[in-house]
Amino acid sequence: MKALLTAIVAALLLFVPAGSAHAQFGGLERTEVKEGYQLKPGAVQILVFRPDVHVGEQTTGGMNEPNAEWTQTAKAHIMAALEQEHLARGSQLVMVTQEDGEMGELVADYTALFGTVANSVLNHKMVRSNRLPTKRDAFDWTLGEDAARLKALGGDYGLFFYTYDSYGSTGRKIIQGLALVLGGGFVPSGVHIGYAGLVDLDTGDLVWLNVDTSMGGDIRTAEGAQKRVAQLMEEFPVRAEGVVVPEGTVTFDPPLPPDGPVDDEPVVASPTAAGDGQ
Amino acid sequence: MKQFAITLAASALFASPLAAQDVAAVEQVADPAPLPSAHGYEPQDDLEKGLWYEMDEAERRLKQSKFLIEDPALNDYVRGVLCRTVGEDRCPAARIYLMRTPQFNASMAPNGVMLVYSGLLLRMRDEAQLAAVLGHEFTHFEKQHSLRLFRNMRKKSDLMAWLSVAPVRLPYAAAMATQFAVIGSVFSFSRDMEREADAGSIKELAQAGYDPRAASAVWSQLGAEMDATAKERRHRSNKKRGGLFATHPRTTDRMGTLAQLAEAAVPDASAAETRAAEYRAALGDWWPQLIDDQIALQDFGGTEYLLATLAGGDPAGWTGDLLYARGELYRARAKEGDFAQAADFFRQAIATGDTPPESWRGLGLALMRLGNKPEGQEALRSYLTLRPQAADAALLRTMAGETLS
Repeated sequence: MKALLTAIVAALLLFVPAGSAHAQFGGLERTEVKEGYQLKPGAVQILVFRPDVHVGEQTTGGMNEPNAEWTQTAKAHIMAALEQEHLARGSQLVMVTQEDGEMGELVADYTALFGTVANSVLNHKMVRSNRLPTKRDAFDWTLGEDAARLKALGGDYGLFFYTYDSYGSTGRKIIQGLALVLGGGFVPSGVHIGYAGLVDLDTGDLVWLNVDTSMGGDIRTAEGAQKRVAQLMEEFPVRAEGVVVPEGTVTFDPPLPPDGPVDDEPVVASPTAAGDGQ
Repeated sequence: MKQFAITLAASALFASPLAAQDVAAVEQVADPAPLPSAHGYEPQDDLEKGLWYEMDEAERRLKQSKFLIEDPALNDYVRGVLCRTVGEDRCPAARIYLMRTPQFNASMAPNGVMLVYSGLLLRMRDEAQLAAVLGHEFTHFEKQHSLRLFRNMRKKSDLMAWLSVAPVRLPYAAAMATQFAVIGSVFSFSRDMEREADAGSIKELAQAGYDPRAASAVWSQLGAEMDATAKERRHRSNKKRGGLFATHPRTTDRMGTLAQLAEAAVPDASAAETRAAEYRAALGDWWPQLIDDQIALQDFGGTEYLLATLAGGDPAGWTGDLLYARGELYRARAKEGDFAQAADFFRQAIATGDTPPESWRGLGLALMRLGNKPEGQEALRSYLTLRPQAADAALLRTMAGETLS
């Protein structure tokens, strides 16, 4: 996660001079969705891993002073807003609290892997000047099929997100104003970075990733957090129309042609079948 | 000349906040505010709360780190040394994490998280030396050095921001000099705190009955190792590194100051303990693994020096473990003559009768590279008999001329 943040900050710095193509302050803002991807129909359970939220104050000189109270408030507001947002979309969030034992280790491993993969998307696709030719049209990153082991925690998707906010202090804002008036150049006041990604736990594929280096909404307030969550969830995959499973999400038949050639293994959304790696 | 005067005036500005900081530090001592090592201590102001919160989050991730050495025996031992050094009342405030990283380092976070690198464990010669490092880090913690450094940096970076929009612009050279002076003063503040922690470690060592000369010995060993590395790599020794932008005082300076402080604290250290045997016993099984990590650094000069000092400059000090390590070191470098030397060290190691089975593997691979296939294959087969489940067994079987089953 740290590495991704560093990359985002680096990207931010990179983009400041060439910013005209982007929104207001020229920050990187990109969303990638796996082509044609839709969430499966019926009840959708999304695992949410320990939210990585950091809120602090940007000092006059530009350092970040972490603030525990703001961070805790923001975390609560964001989680509430996130839950609301997903309820409106008809999906249910499942908070993952395991930190110990084998499952805790698995969660830590996949959180780290997600960070590395997301970093790779950022570097080799989202940053245009650094885009790999083979990734020009493709968004085909995956955490591997073993990610299905996470389904034992009670969800079919994994949502990872991160926000970093450093609110400009009074001193910083004055410096910003003075520098503009006195011709000292543009001094940015405040840093507001966020990203969110969704992993389909049946395949391990990264199906959606949204990165924004100049996010809006003051997450220290409930309304601001709602605005922020709406921005974070931009272009989030919608649910496929079709067969709605009446009850019990343990098994359901995917809407596949009965006798058609199927390359993939049949999708069986039961934790036991998914856990069997062979 | 005028510019120079302005620079001087500007520098004077920063001297005063620094002095003010010192006054504040003195007041802090006079004030009976609770120490972070006190039982049930809670962070006091917003900044301290914020730093603790961030560090607590980092600690959660640290607990899942793949680099964490979880061996309960080794953890208990290091914790025991800390408690012996600073006392049972204060030591519970620190939470020690042993990290498997071959560099020499240790660090302390404001919330009580102490990181100790395995490369440090490899380099300490006795328990008193480990105690010196733990006492140093604990002083950083108790005197709230990270908090104070943050405040110091905040104050100075704020100042630089204000100066950048000051209505009267300094001439370019003066502005540059001013920036250097401010940034330099942050590092100077950091060095002052290192000196304070060094002094603290001597106090703790003396109180605990450890030989306080151990603190200085840590730095003379490290300095000599830096020299050996520099000689091999043909650059200037890191031990002489210092100057305006150094976070720590020069190694040679620390060595001297620590020796003086130790002399003053305990004039006759003949009764003080070093507990070298206890230290070696506690490291026990970890030894070959730490050696492997060190060899992977590809620092031939430094490692050669390190092994020689660990052998104590005595031919009898070359135990099977150390000879194995030296063989691996030469085999890994693979320059002309190195395989012959390596094979020789492996043979000596095997002759001691107490060496890791990997010595046969090293001998076999070295002999194969020397073109001595029959003996090389025989050594590899000996290794495979001793370690049939080795990770590289399949590969070595092929090399040993055995058919794959």
